Amino acid sequence: MTIDLKKFKPDYEKWVEESLPDYRAGNMKEIVKKYPFIVSKDVPWTPYRGKPSEQTFALVTSGGFYLKDSQPAFDTESIHGDTSYREIPKTVRQEDLGIAHAHYDHSLAEQDINTIFPIHRFIELEKEEVIGRQADTQYSFSYVNDAVTLVTKTVPEVIRRIKAQGVDVLFLVPV
Amino acid sequence: MGLIQRMVEAEGIPTISMGNAPDRMNHIKPPRALLVKFARGCMFGEPGNINRHRRIILDALDALKTMSEPGAVQELPYRWKKPDPEES
Repeated sequence: MTIDLKKFKPDYEKWVEESLPDYRAGNMKEIVKKYPFIVSKDVPWTPYRGKPSEQTFALVTSGGFYLKDSQPAFDTESIHGDTSYREIPKTVRQEDLGIAHAHYDHSLAEQDINTIFPIHRFIELEKEEVIGRQADTQYSFSYVNDAVTLVTKTVPEVIRRIKAQGVDVLFLVPV
Repeated sequence: MGLIQRMVEAEGIPTISMGNAPDRMNHIKPPRALLVKFARGCMFGEPGNINRHRRIILDALDALKTMSEPGAVQELPYRWKKPDPEES
């Protein structure tokens, strides 16, 4: 898959410069309107084969979850967002998680993480053998605008990790 | 998330995602997606609604098996705080 970063990069730098006042003022609609989204005509496709009951699943959330006791929170100040990710173990409990994401209402996820990150439902389905296995590690992102770092550094690293874990299907839940 | 999904799919791992904004999904072009009429921050429905969360995951497992066109989007019938259509 080709991602045209040569075009994106100068457009993004210009967007950062022009959008900073709106970002600082919290005018999110304005900055989203102007953001130079990477638009591709092609849609990558890997045919799904096999049975869920024999496969390993993993979750990716952009809900800004992190482990309160052992991981740093995401940067919620920068206009670039935060391109890093946190590894969330499948054994995670509601009370283990903090949420660092300034651009959505956390109140429902604070009551029940499964409303955006249904890890407990996946574990139930694993016990019932509806799916073969839930991977030991899930991945949490937060708000990100800096697609250059995301595409060149972070995502390739996550792909290496999910491949090493033998993940057959990735389920992504944006907020 | 759209970029992440597309890069993972291009690396040979099938993906499926949730979405609630058809305009944005048109733009992002996820390989496979389920569309819900829930607000941001609650793609699987109400807190504590275990049956609904589970149902949506099972819908995703079905969609993996049945979706055959890149960019497939399936709209789910669930509505906030209303019973599932079959149960009403």
